[in-house]
Amino acid sequence: MTATAPKQLVLRAYQVGFGDCFLLRFEYTRGRPRHVLVDFGSTKGGADPVAIANDIAEVCEGKLDMVVATHRHKDHISGFATKANGKGSGDIIRALEPDYVIQPWTEHPDAKKDARSAPNSAAARMRLYGAALEQLHQAAGISAAVADAFSHAHMFDRSLLAELAFIGEDNLANKPAVENLMTMASSRKRQLYVSHARRKLALGTALPGVDVRVLGPPTLEQTDTISKQRSRDADEFWHLLQAGPFAAPRVQGTRLAPLFPGWIQKGDPSWVRWTRRALRELSVERVLSIVRELDKAMNNTSVVLLMQAGKKKLLFPGDAQIENWEYALGQAWVRKLLAGVDLYKVGHHGSLNATPKSLFELFDKRASKLDDPDACMTSVMSTKPGVHGSTSRNTEVPRRKLADELEAETHLFRTDRLSKAKLCEIIEIPLR
Amino acid sequence: MLTVIAQDPGVKMRGVVLTTRVAVPAERLTPGPSGHRVQVVDFDATTNTLYRARTDALEDDVFEGIDPDELIGNPQFHQQNVYALVSSTLARFEHALGRRVPWAFRTPGHQLKVVPHAFAEANAYYSREAQALLFGYFRGAHGQTVYSCLSSDIIIHETTHALVDALRPRYVTNSSIEQAAFHEGFADAVAILSTFAMPQVLAFGISRLGRKAGERARIGTETIPRNLLVPERLKRDALFLLAEQFGHELDPVRGAPALRASVQLDPSPKYLARAEYKQPHKRGEIFVAALLQAFVLVWSERLLPKSERIRELDPRHVIDEGADTAAYLLTMIIRALDYAPSIDLQFADFLSAVLTSDARLHPDDGRYRYREHLRASFEAFGIAPQSPTVDGLWRRPRKELRYDRTRHAGLRRDPDEVFRFIWENSAALGLDPEAYTWVQSVRPCVRIGDDGCVLEETVIEYLQELDARGDELKGYGVRKPTDMPPSFNVRLYGGGVLILDEFGRVVYHIDNGVRSRRQSARVAYAWQDYKREKEAPSREGRHDGAFAGLHEARARGPVPWRKR
Repeated sequence: MTATAPKQLVLRAYQVGFGDCFLLRFEYTRGRPRHVLVDFGSTKGGADPVAIANDIAEVCEGKLDMVVATHRHKDHISGFATKANGKGSGDIIRALEPDYVIQPWTEHPDAKKDARSAPNSAAARMRLYGAALEQLHQAAGISAAVADAFSHAHMFDRSLLAELAFIGEDNLANKPAVENLMTMASSRKRQLYVSHARRKLALGTALPGVDVRVLGPPTLEQTDTISKQRSRDADEFWHLLQAGPFAAPRVQGTRLAPLFPGWIQKGDPSWVRWTRRALRELSVERVLSIVRELDKAMNNTSVVLLMQAGKKKLLFPGDAQIENWEYALGQAWVRKLLAGVDLYKVGHHGSLNATPKSLFELFDKRASKLDDPDACMTSVMSTKPGVHGSTSRNTEVPRRKLADELEAETHLFRTDRLSKAKLCEIIEIPLR
Repeated sequence: MLTVIAQDPGVKMRGVVLTTRVAVPAERLTPGPSGHRVQVVDFDATTNTLYRARTDALEDDVFEGIDPDELIGNPQFHQQNVYALVSSTLARFEHALGRRVPWAFRTPGHQLKVVPHAFAEANAYYSREAQALLFGYFRGAHGQTVYSCLSSDIIIHETTHALVDALRPRYVTNSSIEQAAFHEGFADAVAILSTFAMPQVLAFGISRLGRKAGERARIGTETIPRNLLVPERLKRDALFLLAEQFGHELDPVRGAPALRASVQLDPSPKYLARAEYKQPHKRGEIFVAALLQAFVLVWSERLLPKSERIRELDPRHVIDEGADTAAYLLTMIIRALDYAPSIDLQFADFLSAVLTSDARLHPDDGRYRYREHLRASFEAFGIAPQSPTVDGLWRRPRKELRYDRTRHAGLRRDPDEVFRFIWENSAALGLDPEAYTWVQSVRPCVRIGDDGCVLEETVIEYLQELDARGDELKGYGVRKPTDMPPSFNVRLYGGGVLILDEFGRVVYHIDNGVRSRRQSARVAYAWQDYKREKEAPSREGRHDGAFAGLHEARARGPVPWRKR
């Protein structure tokens, strides 16, 4: 144990509705505490983002050491959005001058240039990825627009429309937040775009006594090595190119323009009604099925962080799902590290696919594995029921089966159990 | 005759998009256009917009001679384009089969809906539930809108899916990879041969033939030397160049066009065993490649008969012979559907079906030896006829059947009469006594033979189902997958096709019974499918998923088959 090792972690899990926002405060015997903000996104209610940002500013006494934006979904980054008047929650966070900003490699600025040629080099592949990302936002626009267009029609399964609207909204490009994150670190060199690696992140003196490792997302090359059954065809571009076939010619915000404005049939001829109805139903199902895939792809760009502080291991996997985890879980050294996890931020708000069984079973500090069940690990789940998935399809978030298991095997904290008056759950974890 | 885009807007001759005119049945039209079998509804579900249809001079080809660039911006031309190509494809099927072909939907309805701008998605598919062909549009690489409803091969491909589904509804079940591959491969083959049967398209390929070889050959001005007309050169140069010109913009819808992929497959029996060809789309390419091989063999033989020493040919003759060959092959493969088993189709079955159906009409293989070339081409790709007879034709029934308890006239039209016939002859036909059996269709047809005489046939399709538990499978001669629980309920499917001659006598019985030797493989495949589905439920539970997902899969590149 080095003299600089932190003695305690105080974790704040903010009430953000459906989203993630965690402030980690590492306290030391000597010297100032260090603060890491992991995600700041909010949808479907929750506390006022500005109030949360002010609380963060107060707790960290005006200085953030590191910001992690696991992936670009709204429910993880909306709080980073700035406002023209400088009074947005993102402006408050920016003023805390974080030294480091950690984002997945897929957010690298080089990945944002539009390119559609075959990916011959790493750079070109990255640009293609950027193009796919653009299309994803297009798809999200369509999704939101379709949900909106049919919201007054009575024949639809309301839960499908709600899901469509949510996924659409969650995936829409959040430009102010994305741009803020791109330039928030104290220098360009400290804007880190990370991927799976065995070595620790070089963070200078930002977090004394805390080792940070990135377990995911894998790079494309790493993904290739595990996808033997997938073609190595240049067009087969990991998960995101799936967005390719789904791009509307004209999307303005969330409004879709008709193809031929001068040829629109006014009125409502009866002979088209049957087909129109069948088509609308199909359309909602199809759009939903596609955006679900895209949504998953975006979740899989999540940064998966494992922090070792003192004697404890803290796992923050964002919304990573099995496809992201697959590469890391295939590595013996990762499995060894994960066995000792003390704090687990439950992946993707408790969804079915974000806590792979093969991961959960690795945890040695589950109650059933210990002589003293009270000494078990802690888990923290930021979630809100009734937003994502459906109980009838066994895809509800949080998934009841998983929540029960977490309850039985860990000390589980859930943000949806917070009273309305409370801004956050505060969890203290001794690190020695 | 109505004007359509010959291939797609990417195929241009001297900078102008290639158009052609196709024959459609003469019929009364209402705005849509709507005819008695095809109804165009131009509703866009993504933007919730209905586009105006033409209201006057509906039966006239008002777009003839109009600048093709103007046509591309006119939704009413798009409406005509889909109407004409779907109608002409239906007409081609009805011509080949010698009867009307109903659509697959059973709720009262005779008109297939065709939606040219259905949604903003790089996809086009047939939906049995929506009783429709749906064509998407999307933003192309250069920001322009790409319409799948302007690509004739995509339109014909989707129409073929609808027609095969009507003729053999069981082909969408999870029976084997090859059956799924057939649906795709057959739709591709019909689309490709239909485009070749348009002389303008073939002319386009031929016009480039000499240029590549450095030997100038321009239509109408020069002749094509013999060395360019041997099968290998026709395939490698004419078809390959043509494939290269097919609009790349539509690749997200159709993948690399089947033509482009298949034309590059040199004959080899090894593809079938390769892992990458265990996916329906890839496996379908083998089917198309075998047909294309037969096409160039016949085409070349027609151009360069062995008995004559030809040194060069007029390009117009080359094109006409090519278009005729394509049209003949097309008729052959469509007609073969009637002779294909009603469930669990394998490529080998189809080969026997095509050989048998052609031999019925043309006992002699004729000057151009279509059957011989087809069989040789399929065998070069490792596909031998399913029937073990010398000529690969289905075997005639070997057991005596009794006809004295059924009325001859009823057998040609009445499913109950046919069922009685099957009931009385159950043992002789080799049907399982325990299986639930029913007659799905009775289709009388009239075909014209070589000698000009009329061949009257009746095609009867029956199906069988047998419910068994895992531990009972052995008793039915079916292997139980090792990890299947003994109490698991399995439904075994079987079925067959009876071809009756004009006297109501069975000439062929093409069956795949519930106890057939392939049942073990079918159960194993369905079991795997079931397990995958349970593990990761597919997004669509409805039948539509079969086609929508399949095409989406093609757009995305290879994905596991369960995505369908």
